[in-house]
Amino acid sequence: MDTNAPIQIPSHVPPELVRKLGITESAEFLASPHKFMAALHETQPPIVFSYGDHSPPAWNLLKYEDAYFVLRHPEFFTTEGTGPFPRDPNDYWKIIPLEIEPPDHRKYRALVDPLVSPKAVLALEVSIRAFANELIDNFIDKGECEFAKEFGRPLPVGVFLDLMALPRDMMDEFVRWAMGLLHAQDRVIAGQVMAEVTQYLNKVIAEKRGVLDGGMVSAIVNGRPGGEEMSARETFGFLFFVWIAGLDTVFATLNNIFVWLAENPERRQEIIDTPDNINNVVEELLRVFTVTFSGRTVRDDIELRGIKMKKGDKITSILPACNYDPDAFPNPAEVNFHRPRKPVLTFAGGAHSCLGAHLARLEVKICIQEFLRRIPNFTIKPGAKIEYWPGGVVGPKDVPLAW
Amino acid sequence: MALVTYVEHDGARHEVDVPVGDTVMQGAVNNLVDGIVAECGGGLACATCHCYVDEAWAGKTGTPSTVETEMLEAAAADVKPTSRLSCQITVTAELAGLIVHLPATQF
Ligand code: HEM
Ligand code: FES
Repeated sequence: MDTNAPIQIPSHVPPELVRKLGITESAEFLASPHKFMAALHETQPPIVFSYGDHSPPAWNLLKYEDAYFVLRHPEFFTTEGTGPFPRDPNDYWKIIPLEIEPPDHRKYRALVDPLVSPKAVLALEVSIRAFANELIDNFIDKGECEFAKEFGRPLPVGVFLDLMALPRDMMDEFVRWAMGLLHAQDRVIAGQVMAEVTQYLNKVIAEKRGVLDGGMVSAIVNGRPGGEEMSARETFGFLFFVWIAGLDTVFATLNNIFVWLAENPERRQEIIDTPDNINNVVEELLRVFTVTFSGRTVRDDIELRGIKMKKGDKITSILPACNYDPDAFPNPAEVNFHRPRKPVLTFAGGAHSCLGAHLARLEVKICIQEFLRRIPNFTIKPGAKIEYWPGGVVGPKDVPLAW
Repeated sequence: MALVTYVEHDGARHEVDVPVGDTVMQGAVNNLVDGIVAECGGGLACATCHCYVDEAWAGKTGTPSTVETEMLEAAAADVKPTSRLSCQITVTAELAGLIVHLPATQF
């Protein structure tokens, strides 16, 4: 451990478990993030206490079983105050539904769950497919594209606008905001974008009040969790979080998958040749390209896998690593489209299990199907090097493809 | 509507009128039957909606798909020949009177 680091390690943490794992920031991570995740099972004990230059110290869970335990026991591990956005303590708002705990949590989820149930998202299938093809039309004749910019980014934004029942002409603005908030290394830009987003969301909240259009903004703005009116702050916190959770995650997931597809022509052919297996293909790719993490706070002193944790300790479930746990997925680094199905941790689990999981699965499925149908053979543009974003959503910056 | 009886592990019985076309899972969560968690909302992705179909009804609820059988392996409680994931059983008029038993735990 670097003794010069200005980090306070609590005294109950055994020194031999303290390290700087480097997740989301080290050179080794950035060189190949998912290989890095898989390798942690060979080099690290199941639970370590890690901190980084940009991440405060937390217990890092690498085992599938441990992450599931934490996610499914909100009575021991809470989401309160763990949301990934810094807020002004004088104007504090909760990130909803993430920072609301059971049993109240259900009241909020009940407002929006019906819009993204497995059945409900199927109603979006035709329009998502059409939109994917429109995007492909724009670049197919060029023989190349910058996938992240021309497909990976606009697709989830377009789908999201439809789901929200917001006009598609907000597309460019949304893209810019999403990039600014999550990837601006620059705090000033992030702050400006946050102000613009706040203004826009507040405008939309006012517009949708009393309007029942079947979209998610309307469901949130006019929803009454447990029969009670939400405060303006709650409405904002809800809308803001759905907005932030549904864009960058799908973007990163698609980008990761398309780098892999470009680099693995035989596997691409396998997918084309076995169209009936597409759901397993999607599930397996979601497993190996898990993009995000799950944070909790210990409610009261507790022991996990023999390790004593204290009230207030932070815990991060390293979901991308948990999905490479050999005890859960034998031979985990192998991309195997015929694994027996088993719940993946890509969308976490427990009460806060991802709201958009079925929509995301559908988006990924349609993108793979339509892209491979129209452009079955493609490579990473010769000479290009794939670089990854640091930070809490794991994915490449650019994905230059050629065919 | 079809009457479905959910028998909790401790013996508590919930008799619920479930709309035809809904799943057995939906009938439970919409009526606060605790023994079904269904954290993936019916996506065949979590195995927390496990139930045992009553012996008398076992032949009438259809057979699980391969994916359902594989997902059942991840269920926390013992898997028996009558085990099903309740999000995969759609309620029909013929199922009026269906009885399902719920396991002690879904995690
Ligand atoms: C591949 C894409 C996606 C991934 C990998 C992903 C991942 C996750 C994860 C890991 C969580 C749990 C966080 C925690 O427990 O700490 C979560 C929660 C959530 N996600 Fe997603 N997500 C994706 C897409 C979406 C989409 C498309 C939407 C919106 C339509 C969405 C909305 C949400 C919301 C609202 C929550 C909070 C749920 C709650 O607290 O009850 N996500 N997501
Ligand atoms: S509700 Fe998740 S598998 Fe049935």
